[in-house]
Amino acid sequence: MNIDTKKIKSMLDRKGRMKIFLSVCASCGACADSCFYYRNSGDPESTPSYKALNSLGIMFRKWKKLDYDDLTAMKKLIWGKCVMCRRCYCPLGIDISSAISWARTICRANGVYEDFSEGPSGIKDK
Amino acid sequence: MKSGSNLEKVLNSGKFAVTAELGPPKGADPGVIKAKAGLLKGFVDSVNITDNQTAVVRMSSLSACALVSAGGFDPVMQMVTRDRNRIALQSDVLGAVSLGIKNILCLSGDHQCFGNQPYSKGVYDIDSIQLISTLKRMRDEKKLLDSDDTLTGDIGIFIGAASTPFSEPVEYRPLRLKKKIDAGADFIQTQCIYDIELFKKFMERVVDLGLHEKCHILAGVTPLKSARMAVYMNTRVPGVIVPEKLISRMEGARKGKGSEEGIAICCELIEELRQIDGVRGVHIMAIEWEQAVGDIVKKTGLFPRPKIRG
Amino acid sequence: MVIARIKPIEEILGFISGKKSVLVVGCAGCTAVCLAGGQREVDSLIVDLKDNKGVIFDGYTMERQCEMEFVAELDHLIDGFQAVLSMACGAGVQFVAERFPGMPVFPALDTVFVGANREVGQYQENCRCCGDCQLAYTGGICPVALCAKGIYNGPCGGSRNGKCEVDEKTACAWCQIYERLKDQGRLDQIMNIKKPMKWKNQTQGTLVQRGYEKFQQD
Ligand code: SF4
Ligand code: SF4
Ligand code: SF4
Ligand code: SF4
Ligand code: SF4
Repeated sequence: MNIDTKKIKSMLDRKGRMKIFLSVCASCGACADSCFYYRNSGDPESTPSYKALNSLGIMFRKWKKLDYDDLTAMKKLIWGKCVMCRRCYCPLGIDISSAISWARTICRANGVYEDFSEGPSGIKDK
Repeated sequence: MKSGSNLEKVLNSGKFAVTAELGPPKGADPGVIKAKAGLLKGFVDSVNITDNQTAVVRMSSLSACALVSAGGFDPVMQMVTRDRNRIALQSDVLGAVSLGIKNILCLSGDHQCFGNQPYSKGVYDIDSIQLISTLKRMRDEKKLLDSDDTLTGDIGIFIGAASTPFSEPVEYRPLRLKKKIDAGADFIQTQCIYDIELFKKFMERVVDLGLHEKCHILAGVTPLKSARMAVYMNTRVPGVIVPEKLISRMEGARKGKGSEEGIAICCELIEELRQIDGVRGVHIMAIEWEQAVGDIVKKTGLFPRPKIRG
Repeated sequence: MVIARIKPIEEILGFISGKKSVLVVGCAGCTAVCLAGGQREVDSLIVDLKDNKGVIFDGYTMERQCEMEFVAELDHLIDGFQAVLSMACGAGVQFVAERFPGMPVFPALDTVFVGANREVGQYQENCRCCGDCQLAYTGGICPVALCAKGIYNGPCGGSRNGKCEVDEKTACAWCQIYERLKDQGRLDQIMNIKKPMKWKNQTQGTLVQRGYEKFQQD
């Protein structure tokens, strides 16, 4: 499966603000407690900052080299560990859920998306 | 006296009451009502006028009541909560009382999907029990639901309700009947009864709860026309149980004699119902067969009907 | 969750007839979960519509059409399209239409109810948003949505073998309410007459949660 890195780039370019924001993330962890998903699971991969940095953050850093598998690997993070409730709060003003949401949208534009016929979280259970 | 209706008088006098059902026509011809009423004249204390029964559009119950009332009958206006919200229901009650209609029977009504307007939007703003308490408030307090304004004029209503003794949950039925009586029902007409033994059990519970003293209970009967009808009633009509014994009697009837046998069974049922403690009358629902009513009333010695003054 | 299903294709074709370019907009919220209007369904609707004529179709799915920030993602996309087909629930369709008042926006779905997932692909209605939840005294079974007559002092006389009078496959909500309350020893809950509803969903609904009133004024 091919993905369109040019399209990814142009979509990333439309959210230049997000790039700056993600680059200023201090990894302070303050957002973790605002995410019910993290609070309930305690899973460090489900803190909002982790999810944003490891999806949209990666896209910004290595968009040229991204392939279909990279996007598929993000599914577990951005769909499996986030319900897009938009309650996450960052004292620096980073709009974390919008970043995750944009990562989802970019995935979708490349044919990688949640599929609720595969289960309640929209991703295949492994 | 709550309304001074003939039905109320007969029941209060302790006489065994007889009511029958009359379905308004699918049309605007008052002659149909007069003809059907003519067949009942002298045989019943009151006549129930159905309200778009089985959700089929017919002449309105209110206007058919006005027609039979003008013909000297004491109508029981049936009102279902399916088609009118509380504004229309209360307004029609006031209109009915102003026309001299004194008995009103409160029902929820068959669901609209059964009739000839299956895609209509059901109203069910209030349910049958809530309609009963609404009528009681209008009569006793002269007030509408949720309003403290006083209504003008005398609002005499003899409030009726239905009971299906054999619908599920069977053990809840007497208690739901109690809710209707607590809400203000003065009389009850039951779904048609064929299984006397089961009905006796129901009535025992009703008597235990003391409901028979708070309210007049009329047992419903429907004469069978054929074995096919008996089977249909047994399997398709909710809350109706026709014992095997009666079905085979109908099957055994000679060709062309089905309706005779049906009337004979109906008369026997009435005799038995009369013996049951708490049963104060009988409600004959001869569906599109009003001629049968006179026969049944005469054969059971319930003719002539009492004339009560006052 | 809001449950919806796709309209008949002929009806959708009727909406867009004469349009040369159509944007099909999916919702990754409820209608994606109920398999009616997510990215997957956007793709397959476009395939179905393409069979018919030389119209240009494109698809785009956002997180939720009921949130303006997401709907705004369409701002740069929408130019050049003559119509939008929204695959969200009615709320989403209206939000898209509100964002682009000059653009004809058509619903591709019929929004059917608020319900729950029985299984993937199987949904059951549970709530009609009556605005005055009755579940406390009904053992957690909704008399408004699950009783065909929406009555409060049931069951009506129509139940048969525990089924509703309208359909022998559908449970009678009031029989279930009775059984559940009986099992819980709470039958007293339905012994008293429940008063008529004071309907609270008869005017246009708006809601400001407690504590958010001041933001509303800004
Ligand atoms: S997103 Fe904000 S709150 Fe979360 S780790 Fe980064 S700086 Fe801290
Ligand atoms: S939007 Fe996602 S990351 Fe943010 S609080 Fe909700 S579940 Fe957590
Ligand atoms: S627009 Fe409708 S279907 Fe989409 S998330 Fe919102 S409520 Fe659900
Ligand atoms: S009672 Fe009202 S709010 Fe509660 S589930 Fe039923 S319709 Fe919804
Ligand atoms: S049978 Fe049960 S669910 Fe159906 S309308 Fe009557 S009370 Fe409601």
